[in-house]
Amino acid sequence: MSVKGVMSGERTGRATRGVPPTVTGRVLWSLTVLGGCGVAATPFAAGAARFWANWMLWFLYLLTLALGALFLVALEHLVSARWSVPLRRIPERVASLLLPLVAVGAVALGALPVLFPGARAEAAADPHLAGKAFWLGAPFFSARVMGCLLLGLLPLWVLVRGSLRQDLDRDPAFTVRARRFAPACMAIFALLVTEAAFDWIGGLEPEWYSDVIGVYLFAGAFLAGLATTTLAVLYLKGRGRLGDIRFDHLYNLGGFLFGFTVFWSYIAFAQYMLMWYANLPDEVHWYQARIQGPWLGVALLLAALHFLVPFFALVTRDAKGDPGRLRWVAVVLLAAHWLDLYWLIFPQLGRTPLGSWPELSFALLFGGGTVLWLRGAMEKGEDMPVGDPFLGEGLEFRL
Amino acid sequence: MTDLNAGSFAVLGLFDSPDALMAAIPRVRARALGRLEAYTPYPVHGLDEALGLRRSPLGGMVLVMGVLGVVAALVFQGWLSAVDYPLVTGGKAPSSWQAFVPIMFEIMVLFATFTAGLGMLLLLNRLPYFGHPVLQSRAIRGITRDRFALAVEADGGLDPAAAASARSALEAAGALDIEVLPEPAAGPLFTAEGIQRTLAAIVAACVGAGMLMYWAVKLMPVLPPMSHILEQPRLNPQAPSTFFRDGHGMQLPVPGTVARGFLPFPARTPEAAAGMVNPLPVTRAVLARGRSEYQVRCAVCHGALGDGVPTLTAAYGAKPANLLAPANLALSDGRIYGTIVLGKNAMPSYAADLAEDDRWAVVHYVRALQRAQHAKDEDLP
Repeated sequence: MSVKGVMSGERTGRATRGVPPTVTGRVLWSLTVLGGCGVAATPFAAGAARFWANWMLWFLYLLTLALGALFLVALEHLVSARWSVPLRRIPERVASLLLPLVAVGAVALGALPVLFPGARAEAAADPHLAGKAFWLGAPFFSARVMGCLLLGLLPLWVLVRGSLRQDLDRDPAFTVRARRFAPACMAIFALLVTEAAFDWIGGLEPEWYSDVIGVYLFAGAFLAGLATTTLAVLYLKGRGRLGDIRFDHLYNLGGFLFGFTVFWSYIAFAQYMLMWYANLPDEVHWYQARIQGPWLGVALLLAALHFLVPFFALVTRDAKGDPGRLRWVAVVLLAAHWLDLYWLIFPQLGRTPLGSWPELSFALLFGGGTVLWLRGAMEKGEDMPVGDPFLGEGLEFRL
Repeated sequence: MTDLNAGSFAVLGLFDSPDALMAAIPRVRARALGRLEAYTPYPVHGLDEALGLRRSPLGGMVLVMGVLGVVAALVFQGWLSAVDYPLVTGGKAPSSWQAFVPIMFEIMVLFATFTAGLGMLLLLNRLPYFGHPVLQSRAIRGITRDRFALAVEADGGLDPAAAASARSALEAAGALDIEVLPEPAAGPLFTAEGIQRTLAAIVAACVGAGMLMYWAVKLMPVLPPMSHILEQPRLNPQAPSTFFRDGHGMQLPVPGTVARGFLPFPARTPEAAAGMVNPLPVTRAVLARGRSEYQVRCAVCHGALGDGVPTLTAAYGAKPANLLAPANLALSDGRIYGTIVLGKNAMPSYAADLAEDDRWAVVHYVRALQRAQHAKDEDLP
């Protein structure tokens, strides 16, 4: 296997490129538009709170997914990983979701007066919220959210745009620059995920407090980004692109998925156990709303989908590199991440879990829109970073 | 084992590159001469598949032991905390699964890592294995630097005919240097001398440890075990205290304090208590309690039936009251209660022995005895 072949692009399978069959595209567009109609009807037929909760959920879902993919890119540069170089273009494309998310996030700020007690006018009269009024109030909250979303474009600009340009100019200087920038990117990533967790999740109930909620959301974010990356890799591989991605590369993706299911469970249970043990009234009410009554079923389903099923599905060696197994486990994990955010946000709306046509419409609109965006993004640049000097080494990777 | 002609451990062929080794493996494997083993200075990719090595069973072993660790920790903690010695800790139910999870996790890790480490070393790598024959071979210098060895081995050794065909197979596959390794001699560990030495070493170690312990106890101050139980922040009687303003550890109760179960009793004579009313209802539980206390405290003098004729009367010439006598039948509940608290004639006070409720329960039981001994027809069920 020669690196020269990779450089000329012949092994990345450009010949089979092209916009995928239009039937799928038309179906996707119809579903997305159908979902859009449902979404437009939601505030009138199901109430503003439900509309904003769904909007916020999907904004956070896609934000964490894109940030998780960006984290994978930055992680590779940070630790000079070689195995993931041939795969790097995929999370780079997934991270491009951060661009439309600036608009989605700006709209999501409409949820502030509806769902966030700290941003309402009567917050000034509440002794628990008066001291936090500046932090939780709409002006600084909005500035913070928009600042963070724009800050997220910086790593996208440096790492992803630079990587695409390296395809053309084959300049190894970008690789050096990216490795130098990676630590700063990690700091930005940590700031963004923590901000999302503390503001959007914690802000729903300002009296409740958890130190670890940022790490909790990070675990879910990385899993979501990784699952999307895995699905995209398998999709491209199934279409004859990424031909040189072997069992060994897939095994590493599967190993990451496996490891981070355990990490998510560890963090989730650690938070629950500490609050259960201390039994402090201002902490435990948050869990009471989420594991008592009908929400207990959601919590158990979450434990099954986010831990038990992926853990036992990926525990053996062969399973971690098996495309069929990885595909359905990645789908389960993406569903579990949605359920995770649903379990975090929707208890605000009532004692019974809501799930009917508004949730389905939002899933069609945002899910369909995301797939359409990613289908377009999958045609950007080469399928592998052909300008990266370590691509050959990455292709030779063996376990 | 010492007969070198019985067979050889392995036939070893050297190659000068991993590619040559990989090319030779299928050619030697095709002859099916025995177990193939490769010795290389660094890991060579694809070697396991080429040699046809079976997948290591270690993963399955670790999984089974990890699950066993989780189950063992769950069962043990559940039995201990909820069945054998139920104890409320921190206001949680004795069978709180949440509290078991960290231990379950840790025991799982312990079982899994021990299985992985010891299973790999002792079971699968067959250690301890002192003096592996390859370490004594001529080829070992090359194997640890820049040569790649392919060995034909067999459990129980190769007989001379098999060794000869292995040699020819390796020659045909292009081996540069071929070496026949003899069976390893049995180690000196299990000879009579070795066993004697081992026993002597154990005895010497025991004597040494005993002497060390003896002198450690003699020379070092012995710490009381679990001394922290003595160091709790509490007030010792008669000891000074920096907590209270007057500096005394012992304090009078706050004015108006009533000790639990010891209500004030202002009457000075049993007659003065005659007006008190029994606060306890007549239930099966109260009567059972009254009977228990009566039989422990009262029956020794007043008799099991309350007739004042127990064995003690004959022995000491005492004349305890006959509770069934008409004069005593007419006594009020409060009057009997007062006698229990204050005593009468030779009967001492039972205030210190019977708690408030126990006294009233005894009064009920005395009433039951009286009624039982003067039962009327309508009392029969």
